[in-house]
Amino acid sequence: MRHLINANVNGRERELSVKSNQTLLEVLRDDLRLKGTREGCSVGVCGSCTVLVDGKPVSSCLMLASNAEGKEVLTIEGLGQAGNLDPVQQAFLDHQAFQCGFCTPGMIMAVKGLLNENAKPDEAEVRDYLSGNICRCGTYVEVMAAIEDLTAKP
Amino acid sequence: MRDFDLLEPKTIPEACGMLAAGEDVRPVSGGTALLILVKQGLLRPRSLVNLKKLEGANAIRRDAGGAVRIEAMATIHEVETSQVVREHLPVLAEACHQVANIRIRHLATIGGNLAHGDHQSDPPGVLVALGAEVELSGAGGTRALKLADFLLGTYETALEPGEMVTAVTVPPVEGRLVGGYLKFTTGSSEERPCAGITALVRLDGDRPVEARLAVGAVASRPLLLCEADPAEAALEAMADRAAEEIDPIPDLRGSAEYKRHLVRVLGRRAMAAAWAEAGS
Repeated sequence: MRHLINANVNGRERELSVKSNQTLLEVLRDDLRLKGTREGCSVGVCGSCTVLVDGKPVSSCLMLASNAEGKEVLTIEGLGQAGNLDPVQQAFLDHQAFQCGFCTPGMIMAVKGLLNENAKPDEAEVRDYLSGNICRCGTYVEVMAAIEDLTAKP
Repeated sequence: MRDFDLLEPKTIPEACGMLAAGEDVRPVSGGTALLILVKQGLLRPRSLVNLKKLEGANAIRRDAGGAVRIEAMATIHEVETSQVVREHLPVLAEACHQVANIRIRHLATIGGNLAHGDHQSDPPGVLVALGAEVELSGAGGTRALKLADFLLGTYETALEPGEMVTAVTVPPVEGRLVGGYLKFTTGSSEERPCAGITALVRLDGDRPVEARLAVGAVASRPLLLCEADPAEAALEAMADRAAEEIDPIPDLRGSAEYKRHLVRVLGRRAMAAAWAEAGS
């Protein structure tokens, strides 16, 4: 069964034909070829598939694509591109807050979601918010430094 | 993921009609629990009824009598950040904040959480401690049931075929409730609870008139103990009684013996904290 939905993906209005059993992650990666969003655990634990839906972080591996109807979806590709990076992307670069990079798009989108909700989070709030984004390389110290840099700016 | 047809009703009666079609038609809201079961092949539904597009099904309100009504499709994050909940049921906001991670809290719904009947979860125990009722809607109309009577066991609820949870209501509190929720995980902080303890003291003015201790996530359903006109000396005994009465499910998070011990230690700790708050 297919569903015709309208959604704004990375600033562009799209009419999408999605299957009943398709997740938002599958539509982004397989249909729209937006490969920045990664599939890690596929059960909502690791955070690799984090995207923003109406500004809020969700696990796109557990969201039915049909529920993106009328929503604004933002992926890492829509955040910024080379030469025009979002401040969060730039801070991750400046602090080398990644190693292999697999978790990085999800990590950056989660930070974006955090800053949407709370522009000046303290360290405990950052740790609490990001506790569900896992980095197997263990770059947490650099991630925290990048965020500290972002939130210290006036 | 295995194929299924996603049916998309606009109204609750329409949804109930679809759900009445048979056992292999299941409701889905946030999908954070159910889609995992489908991905793993544990559930093979022919159709899923998408409750996420029902109009106005996520409101949270307090009525003139002081009861707080949360429509079933409110997300865990909406409950956690609701001004009504934060002001009148802070323990529920505290517990909802500790559910999984922020991404799941933005998708998962309170109705889905309760209807799923998974004992390893934070909200059910707290809501039982608060004396919550669930509203169930089906072809025959709506009925209300105490949450404690609705939760029958792991993945088992009192839902009849064709019924869905449409709201959860917390009755008004006589006096004032103080206390909190104590979550313990044996893995990382965002893991499912190994034990979730709710300890509340109800005050009439400054006088403690009732103590409540609810143990969630340890047994197949929450355990609630209440004590009228409690004295400080009775609080430890309440935790000890909970540890004796509970029937822990051993799993990767701990053995039955470990969990029983945990209930005693955390129960005493949570009751002591609630009592201290009551006295301050």
